[in-house]
Amino acid sequence: MDPFLGQVISFARLVMESMVPFVLAAQGTMLAGRTGLFNVAQEGMMLVGASLGFLVAYQTGSQLTGILVAAGVGGGFALLLAYLTTTLKMNQFVIGIALFFSGVGISTLLPKLAIGVTLMQPLIPTLVDIPLPLVSRIPVLGPVMFSQNAMVYFSILISILLWWFLYKTKIGRDLRAVGENPMAADTMGINVTLVRYAATIAGGLLIGLAGVYLPLVYTGTFTEGMVRGRGFIAIALTFFGGWSPIPIFYGSLFFAAVEVLAYRLQVGASHIPYQFLQILPYIATILVMMFSFYKSPVPRFLGENYDREKRSQT
Amino acid sequence: MAEIVQTSADVLQMQGVYKSFGARYALNNASFNLEAREIHGLLGGNGAGKTTLMNILYGLYREDKGTIKLHGKQVEINSPKDAIARGIGMVHQHFLQVENYTVLENITLGLPGNNRFSADYRDETRVISSLIERFGLQVDLHARIEDLPMGTRQKVEILKALYRGVGILILDEPSTNLTPQEVDGLFKSLREMVNEGMSIVFITHKLQEVLDVCDRITVLRHGCHVLTLRRGEATEEAFIRAMVGEEMKIQESVLFADHARRSPVVASGQPPRLYVDSVDYKDAHGVEVLRNLTLDVHAGEILGIAGVAGNGQRELAEIIMQVYPPSSGKIYLDGRDITGMEANRLLSLGVSYIPEDRLHDGFLPKASVAHNLILGWHHQEPYSKRGFIDWAKVSREAVELIDRYNIVTNGPSEVGANLSGGNIQRVIIARGMGHLSTLLVAHNPTRGLDIPSMDAFYSLLLAKKEVRVGILLISENLDELILMCDRIAALYRGEIMGVIERSRFEKYEIGRMMSGVRTDT
Amino acid sequence: MLEQTHRQARLRFNAPGVLRQTLPYAVALGIAFALAGIFIHLMGYDVLRAYQTILFTSFRSANSFVQTILKFIPVTLLALAFTVPFAAGKYNIGGEGQMIVGATGATVIGILLRDEPAILVLPLALVTGVLFGAIWGLIPAWLLLKFRIHEILTTTLFNFISYSIIDYIATEIWRDPVAGHPTTIPIGDSAWLPLVVRNPPLHSGIVLALLIAAAVWVYMTRTTGGYEMVATGANPEASKIFGIKTSRMFMLSLVIGGALAGLAGAVEVEGYQHRLIVGLQSNFLQLGLITGLIAKGNNFAVPFVAFFIAMLEVGASAMQRTMQIPVEFVFIVEALVLLCVLLSDVVRRREWIRSSVR
Repeated sequence: MDPFLGQVISFARLVMESMVPFVLAAQGTMLAGRTGLFNVAQEGMMLVGASLGFLVAYQTGSQLTGILVAAGVGGGFALLLAYLTTTLKMNQFVIGIALFFSGVGISTLLPKLAIGVTLMQPLIPTLVDIPLPLVSRIPVLGPVMFSQNAMVYFSILISILLWWFLYKTKIGRDLRAVGENPMAADTMGINVTLVRYAATIAGGLLIGLAGVYLPLVYTGTFTEGMVRGRGFIAIALTFFGGWSPIPIFYGSLFFAAVEVLAYRLQVGASHIPYQFLQILPYIATILVMMFSFYKSPVPRFLGENYDREKRSQT
Repeated sequence: MAEIVQTSADVLQMQGVYKSFGARYALNNASFNLEAREIHGLLGGNGAGKTTLMNILYGLYREDKGTIKLHGKQVEINSPKDAIARGIGMVHQHFLQVENYTVLENITLGLPGNNRFSADYRDETRVISSLIERFGLQVDLHARIEDLPMGTRQKVEILKALYRGVGILILDEPSTNLTPQEVDGLFKSLREMVNEGMSIVFITHKLQEVLDVCDRITVLRHGCHVLTLRRGEATEEAFIRAMVGEEMKIQESVLFADHARRSPVVASGQPPRLYVDSVDYKDAHGVEVLRNLTLDVHAGEILGIAGVAGNGQRELAEIIMQVYPPSSGKIYLDGRDITGMEANRLLSLGVSYIPEDRLHDGFLPKASVAHNLILGWHHQEPYSKRGFIDWAKVSREAVELIDRYNIVTNGPSEVGANLSGGNIQRVIIARGMGHLSTLLVAHNPTRGLDIPSMDAFYSLLLAKKEVRVGILLISENLDELILMCDRIAALYRGEIMGVIERSRFEKYEIGRMMSGVRTDT
Repeated sequence: MLEQTHRQARLRFNAPGVLRQTLPYAVALGIAFALAGIFIHLMGYDVLRAYQTILFTSFRSANSFVQTILKFIPVTLLALAFTVPFAAGKYNIGGEGQMIVGATGATVIGILLRDEPAILVLPLALVTGVLFGAIWGLIPAWLLLKFRIHEILTTTLFNFISYSIIDYIATEIWRDPVAGHPTTIPIGDSAWLPLVVRNPPLHSGIVLALLIAAAVWVYMTRTTGGYEMVATGANPEASKIFGIKTSRMFMLSLVIGGALAGLAGAVEVEGYQHRLIVGLQSNFLQLGLITGLIAKGNNFAVPFVAFFIAMLEVGASAMQRTMQIPVEFVFIVEALVLLCVLLSDVVRRREWIRSSVR
């Protein structure tokens, strides 16, 4: 095989593998945002998902249990977020920030409580690749897209599912209306509270999954701060993707590509100080945001809580 | 308050309804009856409780006490979904539509149809099209709401209710966003609906309207029922008296007096207070909001700007107040070019502004009343000296203003958000009037004010007119303009369609201009 | 002028009013500690001993009191770095990065000008630190105004970028070969902040911190500029319409926030560590945010809350040493306090009643 082609395939494979946390976290953010709830706690939620998911997988020996628990804790955080903002009407950013650093704190505390300080890093086996029958034999496309781990496939499927749900169904239309004009939705009989809770919790499940992917695929263990800003980058991604599932998917591929490129350069072009390459993904994020925030079709009531009886104030 | 006699022809009976928001009560033993196949006007000033009562009926608010009976049976309505299920529909004053959805999506919003997991609207389209035919509410199902004019958008609101098969339809101040011609068209559609078996509640504060179209009229005041009569059973004066109560001196009021005690505008050799010269404005999306707009306001003159909301009124006001500069053209104050001047400088020249959306544009809910009373003038003496604010002085003056303008509040340090809507408006008026000496720009200034307060404001305006302040009164309430103005200009799609002198004020003529018919004067 | 405002301040100090204000806080504190106590008990530790350790360690010895003050300084400054932009309606989560570049700036001066006299170097290093921090706040502000990018995102990303910067400086440029952890060589003596107390050593950063806190309070409550900033945060639309240059306010608030955090970094380097240590930012960002949020943005309350938090942190280290309770646990206590304080707001608004009735 042509060595250049080999390089390209291995690069593309890595990108597909790396886009998962971006996609899942961004879709989770998008889903909640579409109902008006601006989640800024992703970084903390992903850290807890990574930490708790890893610990559970380690203690039980089951990757699946770890994955489910991580999703669950993401959902739990999201439930708290939804309750404090939607029902108790607290400021979404303040609660998001509080949950963010709560997540940071809890994620470092848990390993200390469960495992304590050890000399050797506890490890769990990482996810295996599952080559799909037949299609994985297609040259180039096969190894890149069809010989990946289960969560890669899940990310692709969920993006398509979300697109269909939001744009091709009446129930999706109702959900989006909650973010565009919650008062209109309320007066037409849509249960705004229920929709916000449901979307936020569903989004939280995805964000928890995004978190546990990191130990489960990259390192096999949990280290403090391993999310490294991906939670916030996911927010940027959501804007970049115009709050729409398919563009978000493509945007995630782009970010993953920058991340992989930075990593490759660190290894390959060792004459460049690695610190400069480390900041590449963040610079890319900022550049991308410069071109997408102005025009991004943000849900009209993003970040605002809805109070049915507040009309009396005007 | 007066008792209601209940008959068996009632489709709806609301009795003994109480509702309070925090310490304020909005409804105080209110009651209301609706007969089958009638258009029933619910009349009263702002704050009388009309909208609150109907919001309770529609499930948006929960009553503290009271009963609701539909067709003689007592019911509980906990949400709009409940209300709709019971055949009650409501068209709100500010339309509740998703701007970037189509008409079809808005009408069917919240309804799963045959299959909530599909986007197949064929059945829905058939039903809606037949409704359009029956009631003469022409609208393109695939148009986007944000592209439609107000009158059409109201038809969509009505169709939303009709599509859900309501038997009782509530309309909250429906004529707010319509030209006089469109109002007539609405009344015709309402008659059609009643003929088909519906009952309609028509909420308004305009007496003339209910006398034109309603079969029976109920007056609410201070949250309780005052009287219910058939049209023609009482004089206009009786209805007015019912709306305002005993304290207000009707004959001396500006609103209801037979003659207008006003001085004519005397032309002096001076340049006009305000001269807007060929102003264009393109907004951030490239849309031309104001086109070649020219107008002038003389000292001691009240110039009215008539027009349906959304034709550039807000931008006109904000450009005159220098919130942002026009794309081209010039603005003069007393002959002096103020185009592009800084907003806070303008405010120090004796110019004042009463913005339309009082909460959004004119008020700081989290700050104290004192804070709010100096907003805009906070950097000037005597409030501020060498960068430091003299809060003692601010407080003293605040107490004075609270007294003079009858603002109901615990004191200058009360948090603004605690004030009722009407009192917030009073704060804004107090602030605006206090530093006014040359020009006042007022946009829908009486919105939300009860009748006595409205009247007090009109008296204030006339007083300012006497001291040769120029007043630009932008209002969607044509009756208000006809009452107060010396001249009226009509704004349509950012252009002035014509200007009419007071001696020739005529509702339908102005209405034509508001719809885009240019009139040379 | 100043005398008059003092008199006003005193006049407003009426006993029942103050009691009414602080009572919800006290109750919230009590509930938070009770909950934390239950948690500690469930984990099998001695609750009473834990309370004693966490609350009183700061006052047990002069040394631990100084430790508390040393934590108090950066926490106060970082809390203010959050509350000032917060007053203008902006969320500055970049205190960490601003502190790091501030520390870097002070270090650069301290190392490059190590042979110059202190009268020049000391203030110059402080100013450079403040300046660098201000720039680190200015860039997100500019991105906000020019491209409408939400500052929560940019300030956070700049945190991550700052990690690489300090790493580069401490490992490539001025690496201290002896140290086990990435650190620079020490700064010159001329850049050291003079001591206020000799034994145990307490540097004059405390004086700076208190002065700055007072200055911020005066600015926000008594000046026209402060009024405009508060108005901008309360309602940017209305402020703009009534003549306040809101864009300028947004930018100024973030620059001030960055400057405050930058100062915190410079003070850490010049007063305490005397070199640039990777990881100097510790958990000060979280502590600053918690402090700012518990104080509900009230600049007068910030130093008090900051001291309380510093107290808890010192107590937590002691708790880990003597009772083997992981030090991160204090974070649970702090988070609970924050939660209870926020909820006390809700209770005040009687949201409980409404939401349970619905």
